[in-house]
Amino acid sequence: MFLAWKEMKHAKARFILIGFIMVLLAYLVLFVSGLANGLQADNVSSIQHMKATSFVVAQNSDQRLQSSQLTEKQWHELQRTKDVTPLGLRMTSVKQQGSQKKIDSTLMAIDPEQFLAPTIEEGQAVTHLRPNEVVGDYSLKEHGFMLGDVLVETMTGKTMTLVGFTKNELFSHAPVLHMTTQGWHRLFGAKVSWNAGALRTAVHLPSIKGVEQASKEEIVQSVPGYKEEQGSLTMMIVFLFVISAFVLSVFFYVLTLQKMSHFGVLKAMGATTRYLARSILYQVLLLTSFSVAIGVGLTLLTGALLPSTMPFHVTPTLLLSCCGLLITVAILGSLLSLNTVRKVDAIEAIGRAN
Amino acid sequence: MNTTLKMEHISKQYGEGTTHVSVIRNVSLEVKAGEFIALVGPSGSGKSTFLSMAGALLTPSSGTLVIAGEDVSQASAQRLTALRRKHIGFVFQSAHLLPYLTVRDQLVLVTQFEKSNNREVQTRADRLLQRLGLQHRMYHFPEQLSGGERQRVAIARAWMNDPELLLADEPTASLDAVRGREVVQMIADEVKLRDKAAIMVTHDHRVLDLCDSVLYMEDGTLKKEQLSS
Ligand SMILES: Nc1ncnc2c1ncn2[C@@H]1O[C@H](COP(=O)(O)OP(=O)(O)OP(=O)(O)O)[C@@H](O)[C@H]1O
Ligand SMILES: [Mg+2]
Repeated sequence: MFLAWKEMKHAKARFILIGFIMVLLAYLVLFVSGLANGLQADNVSSIQHMKATSFVVAQNSDQRLQSSQLTEKQWHELQRTKDVTPLGLRMTSVKQQGSQKKIDSTLMAIDPEQFLAPTIEEGQAVTHLRPNEVVGDYSLKEHGFMLGDVLVETMTGKTMTLVGFTKNELFSHAPVLHMTTQGWHRLFGAKVSWNAGALRTAVHLPSIKGVEQASKEEIVQSVPGYKEEQGSLTMMIVFLFVISAFVLSVFFYVLTLQKMSHFGVLKAMGATTRYLARSILYQVLLLTSFSVAIGVGLTLLTGALLPSTMPFHVTPTLLLSCCGLLITVAILGSLLSLNTVRKVDAIEAIGRAN
Repeated sequence: MNTTLKMEHISKQYGEGTTHVSVIRNVSLEVKAGEFIALVGPSGSGKSTFLSMAGALLTPSSGTLVIAGEDVSQASAQRLTALRRKHIGFVFQSAHLLPYLTVRDQLVLVTQFEKSNNREVQTRADRLLQRLGLQHRMYHFPEQLSGGERQRVAIARAWMNDPELLLADEPTASLDAVRGREVVQMIADEVKLRDKAAIMVTHDHRVLDLCDSVLYMEDGTLKKEQLSS
């Protein structure tokens, strides 16, 4: 686009200034989105990674895994359903043997042969897990834990050995320690019951008194603090987009107003509204894409520089959707300008001194 | 000779009721290729309005208007735009150059509204600039040029799309007598050289001798004036 490009080249300072503000807007949007995403991962990534589609929980538990307890009878009846696997979950804290420093963690009991088994990044395969062994999330490394460490579970005082690391296995902002169901019994006694039964496929459950089936999404939504956290961050992001839309509209509009007399002359010379509109859109797209690309670069840099304990997490999908939305917002912002250009009359060019 | 512009009983009114004004009243005119016509008259007599209609910027309220063989009396805005692009060149009172384009790009721009052969466009631009003595200013921006030079660029730009008809509204108003005469001379030369038609509105009686005929407009009507020289 001849006209658009020549103008940008000539008025570099002006366009760089606008671009700079767009970079800041993009960076802010992406940063907050990354934060929301990171907090979400911190809170529920362990559940999101589960290959389960739904869970059977106690009816009076508000679909919260922590407060759900299946009675022995319920579990017994449930087991007749093929494909159901037990899930034990308890918030606790652990410390390294000989150390005083406790760190919060979430204990999970799973059947290593079944689909709830986590993927091991480092260390021993989960299928060979012995009752006194656990695998834990990578973030434990940040706290100084290493393979082979002996951990003390602080409620029972029992010990277990850390034999493997998993990735992105967090629940309620604490690293998850996976153990076998036998390990669970070893800690909490033979009589304890499970928090939930996990299902991989949609099955018709036999009607069991006192239990209900909840989808994975429902379970995630019911994690304490999840809705509030995500709600306020989503609100911030929405506002940022709205603000971006307004700021960009005003910028483009002011740019267009300054050039009204040029548009009149161009139309007198035979330029169609279409040509002028294309020219403006081209500038908007070029400016936005550049700015957003720099914003993405800054966000990735921030992600790399932040300590990994910071809940900041960006994915390609997140980046792409944010960028797409920002570009859409910019185009919406230029509609006001396009309409103004449409209304410029070529006649204004003639018979006037300026 | 070919008729480039034909106006028959053209009238133009603005507004309705109490704001109603009749700006052009029953004007007829024929302009042929190779003719350079001057239009003079007091302020407010309707010269710019007349020129706007001749340049397909405005349609008349009544009458027949034929530009380059096409009847545009009732044409749509789109049709008029296309017509201006193909057949009309404008020179405005102040040059109205785009501040962010170099002299050469001002000329190239005219051909960008449609698909065009770039190589050919550039040689055409270079040739025009040379003929108007602007070759050493090719890569300058308007702010670096004098008023006379700007007006010369505007003339070069107006010829760029090879129009049948060139329209100039007080092209010398912001120039001194010598520069003004130079600019008018350039229009006259191009008209003769390339067998085009041109109409120029002017208040400067010292350049009228460069034109083939002078029309006098008063209160929306045209009168032919004899050349006094
Ligand atoms: N859009 C419009 N609406 C109403 N009246 C108009 C409009 N445009 C022009 N006029 C009127 O038409 C008359 C002629 O205007 P025009 O600009 O054609 O005069 P002119 O001969 O070019 O004057 P000048 O020498 O001062 O440039 C003026 O009285 C003006 O007020
Ligand atoms: Mg006028």
